Amino acid sequence: MMSLSETIWAVVKILIMVGFLFNVGGLLTWLDRRQSAMIQDRIGPNRAVIKVFGIEFRLGGLLHPLADGVKFFFKEDFIPPRGDKLLFAVAPILVMAPVLALIAVIPFGDKLCVDDLWRTTDTGSLLFPAVPRYGSCLIPVARGGIAAIDLQVASLNVGILYVFALAGQGIVGAALAGWSSDNKFSLLGALRAASQMVSYEVTIGMSLVGALMIYGSVRMGDMVRWQGDHAWGIFIQPLAFFMFFMAAVAESKRIPFDLPEAESELVSGYFTEYSGMKFGMFYFAEYMEVVTSSMLLVTIFLGGWQLPFLHRDGLTIDIGTWRALQLPMNHLTVTAIQVCTFFGKVLFLCWIQCFVRWSLPRFRYDQLMKLCWRILLPLSLANILVTGVVYLLLDHAGPVLGNTLQMIGDLTQAVVAIAITYFVLSIVIGLIRPTRRTSWVVGSTAKLAQRFGGTPRSPRMQA
Amino acid sequence: MPTFKLDGKEIPFETGDTIIAAAARVGIEIPHYCWHPGLSIAANCRMCLIEVMPSATQRSPLLDILEWDATLQDYRTVRKPKLQPACQMAATEGAEIQSNASENVAVARKAVQEFLLLNHPVDCPICDQSGECKLQDYWLEYGRFKKRMGDEPVHKPKAVVFGPTIVYDAERCVMCTRCIRFMDEVAHDPVLEMRERGNHNEICVADGHALTGHYTFMTEHVCPVGALTTKDFRFKARVWFLRTAKSICQGCATGCNSYLDYDPRYNRAYRHRPRDNEQVNKYWMCDEGMLSYRRIHEDRVSEPRLQGKTVSASAALQAIKQAFAGVSPNSVAVVFSAQHSLEDNWALRELAKTLLGTTSFYVSGLPDGYEDKILIHRDKNPNREGVAALARDAKSFADLVTDIRAGRATHVIALGGEAPLDHHDGEPAFEKLQAMVTIAAHDGPLTRAATVVLPATTWAEASGTYVNAKGIRQVADKALEPIGGAAPAWTQIAHVARSLGLNPQWGELKQIRTRLSSEVPAQTATSSTQTES
Amino acid sequence: MTQAAAFPKKRATPFTPVVVKHAERSLSNQSYIPEIIRGVGESMRHFFRNTKEMWKNDRPDPVTQRLDKGITTISYPEQKRPYPERFRGLHRLMARDDGSPRCVACLCCSTACPAQCIFIEAGEYPEGDKRRGYERFPVRFVIDELRCIFCGFCVEACPCDAIRMDTGVHATPYDSRDQFIYDKGLLMSFAGRDGSHKTENPRHEPGEKTHPGIDRERSH
Repeated sequence: MMSLSETIWAVVKILIMVGFLFNVGGLLTWLDRRQSAMIQDRIGPNRAVIKVFGIEFRLGGLLHPLADGVKFFFKEDFIPPRGDKLLFAVAPILVMAPVLALIAVIPFGDKLCVDDLWRTTDTGSLLFPAVPRYGSCLIPVARGGIAAIDLQVASLNVGILYVFALAGQGIVGAALAGWSSDNKFSLLGALRAASQMVSYEVTIGMSLVGALMIYGSVRMGDMVRWQGDHAWGIFIQPLAFFMFFMAAVAESKRIPFDLPEAESELVSGYFTEYSGMKFGMFYFAEYMEVVTSSMLLVTIFLGGWQLPFLHRDGLTIDIGTWRALQLPMNHLTVTAIQVCTFFGKVLFLCWIQCFVRWSLPRFRYDQLMKLCWRILLPLSLANILVTGVVYLLLDHAGPVLGNTLQMIGDLTQAVVAIAITYFVLSIVIGLIRPTRRTSWVVGSTAKLAQRFGGTPRSPRMQA
Repeated sequence: MPTFKLDGKEIPFETGDTIIAAAARVGIEIPHYCWHPGLSIAANCRMCLIEVMPSATQRSPLLDILEWDATLQDYRTVRKPKLQPACQMAATEGAEIQSNASENVAVARKAVQEFLLLNHPVDCPICDQSGECKLQDYWLEYGRFKKRMGDEPVHKPKAVVFGPTIVYDAERCVMCTRCIRFMDEVAHDPVLEMRERGNHNEICVADGHALTGHYTFMTEHVCPVGALTTKDFRFKARVWFLRTAKSICQGCATGCNSYLDYDPRYNRAYRHRPRDNEQVNKYWMCDEGMLSYRRIHEDRVSEPRLQGKTVSASAALQAIKQAFAGVSPNSVAVVFSAQHSLEDNWALRELAKTLLGTTSFYVSGLPDGYEDKILIHRDKNPNREGVAALARDAKSFADLVTDIRAGRATHVIALGGEAPLDHHDGEPAFEKLQAMVTIAAHDGPLTRAATVVLPATTWAEASGTYVNAKGIRQVADKALEPIGGAAPAWTQIAHVARSLGLNPQWGELKQIRTRLSSEVPAQTATSSTQTES
Repeated sequence: MTQAAAFPKKRATPFTPVVVKHAERSLSNQSYIPEIIRGVGESMRHFFRNTKEMWKNDRPDPVTQRLDKGITTISYPEQKRPYPERFRGLHRLMARDDGSPRCVACLCCSTACPAQCIFIEAGEYPEGDKRRGYERFPVRFVIDELRCIFCGFCVEACPCDAIRMDTGVHATPYDSRDQFIYDKGLLMSFAGRDGSHKTENPRHEPGEKTHPGIDRERSH
């Protein structure tokens, strides 16, 4: 039985996760359009406008998702007359629900000790840290303290297995949508969706086995903590990372794996017949799947809430046994940074996924299947085998090798830290650097524009 | 038949023929302005100059002619053969004539053309003749020079009103005197004359007179340039937008052959002009006939009517079926129309005789009118002879009125709306009728009296055959598309027959024509080729 | 701003066949991964440059710098490119000094028109008018701008500089079809691109000194 405070905390956590999911899902519809415009040298959406006291707010097209939402609600809710009305109505819910349920097991922060929020470690004293690096809080429950709160909606012991179980449910919705639409394009899309998702489901599972062997747990929180202590999963299992990434894109049916809804072939695939908010749910579920797959990637391969060298007691740079820097921080600061880190990493991955979408051409269906069954699956099996053998060997090696591995792990953290710094710095420098321009004043149009000091200032050619 | 050689080609001629006429008869045109096959010879335009080659024993008559020499930069005298006007030169057996083949002729033509255009305003864009103007045609064919005269051209009166129908522009005139000769020789009304000399030459109407009468439009028609224009056609259309159909004038029983010029874009007729036929109208038409194209668009019956109200075709046919149910054939009177074509009347006779079994036939049509000795016939109906050939025992329209009054005819099927009927005399009689069906293109006394009116096409909207007063059978081609619900009368008669439960045996014009040619033998006009006028 | 050749001249080699190279069958090509990274990298280059320019509001001029890198599209109804000088816009009818149309209703334009979108009804000047006999005038002059294909043949055909397409206004959208039917009054109300109704091509009216004569008395 949950206590009142536990219930409140649970509600707060759900609100945080679901709120993030919905908001970022909405933002992604904007990001997809805006980013594609930037990639393709266009201005992009900016027509949606709100007028307040005569001042127009366009917010760089951010109002478009809002306008879309309003439009979804007021559109005709068309149901094919000869389709299955019940299944037709249920299908979008079946697509949407698993995505929402899936985020329950994803941790967005380390354990939170409510009692120790403001406590800071004394400088130089690691012996009596305000908050222990690992484990429970300083004041145990038995002595009247409040139990440590997992920043995770549900700390399931089956963890990742729950994720697999739910991710597989999306197929049902897509298949039902296609079947109940009474439309051949829809049915073809559903067939493609079902076979594609079933196939890539296998790869998703298999690619993670190696990582799970190393982490030694299927609990998401444990995985993140392991990565913080040693090295991020992407360094330990790079192949698995790429395979999981590909399979995740395929699962969310996005370019280059968008065959179930390929516009040039199937109109809109399994949701061709959908309109209004039902279509909106499919549309939205796709973007939420991008967010959840990014969350999974971050949790399993990119160190979850971890930042290099940031521990529960503050910033401590240790390379092997040599301590380069120690900067204690209070518990609240550290937790806030970690939560922000998690969500930041998720946003970064969503952003990367958008690049993938706007850069790559669509696969052919046979290529898609070949890629899955003939390349990804054997590779993931080989990955399991190699991982297992290496893990066994390392497990029996001596402490010297263990220390070396720890040293290498710390170095990877340093690499990540340097990469982040470089990335931020280069963006700043790029922003400061001036742009060089070349003019071509040829033809009467250009001459006219130049005479008036640029096209925006040249006279409107209206009578 | 004697022959002469024109550009190496043997041309047959009859004694007394001029060279230009003999050439025209075989379809060779020698350029000309003033010559017209129906008018006397003036030989004043000098466009038809030809070179008569001397025979072996003769010397060619030579003239001193000034020719520009480019090297000398001056004119010098050269001796060249004297050219002859082809319109005045009588053809002689074995003569050798050169027209297009002769270089001297080409130079002369070009010079004549340049001379005629010296003072021409060249306002082709606003000239109604543009597109069918001989000045344009010949410039393109034989001229192709640029204007060399830098001086101001001579100016003469413009837009001079000659009469109620004709407007004259002296600047465009080439003084061929065709119009003067036409009024003198054909219309026998010599009101046109010429005044001044040389550059200042112009055509004018004799003092105290105006260009009136029944043949004023022909002056415009014979004018080879844009000097004379009719008020009727002036500024109405550009001729290159018009299409032409061979037609027969519907104005009177003479049955003049005509061309009907219409604009297919607007489905509108714009002009009626004569088509040469030696046997019927020669080269001429009267004013009334040339204006008769207007009737195509006037007083039309475009939709079926029942008791004066517009109804659908099926409703009209249903009403006919009800009105004629159980009616004895003896009380049905059938009225033919001298206004309608042979085909229409044949279909009506077929319906009456074969299908209905009635033989009480009557003829309607327009009443008689003005006549003269040139072209205009007293009978204003184009096909009275044709109806007579189809139904010899047809009674007059006056008999119909009598029969209706006497109650001998209770039901009437009539073709054409026109009838020699006035309000005081005949129309009250029709109120006694139980039912009357009229198939008509135009409103008239018979459509006003009718219970049911079915719209028919006019002569311009369907091909039809007409027999003129001389008994010559002639065909008018289709020009315009039928308006509204109109269909050829023979089609409408077939509809009526079907609605009465009968089985008409004609579905196409071809079938009617075949039956007609076997049943009604008639003298057919030899179709003459259009000689250039 | 540096001036560069707009279209660098490339020597045409019309008779040299273009050899399309087969992609090499190497591991890097077949695995597709380096190409993906290159592709995504290209996308990123565009993304960062354009985002920066949008953010700093420093985009290349869409006309004078249209061959430069960056976003050169425009927000159309708010922004407009200037039309070239010889742009064929909506028609207008030129007027004489007294405000009547220069058109003499010769129908040359409607003859030249391949879309048959010009309808003119010609009229004659009344008795006593100095132009009677010399000219006619359009009673109705109607252009169906929906049918018009803006080829400019009517302008070429016009013998008296009466119709022009120099309004600089492109075909305008309307709510209903009949609004596209422009009549004489509307066509005459349009000004040229410079906003004036003036023309450098003078018209000589009958009766003026510059006009070539009018009657027998004043002729040569």
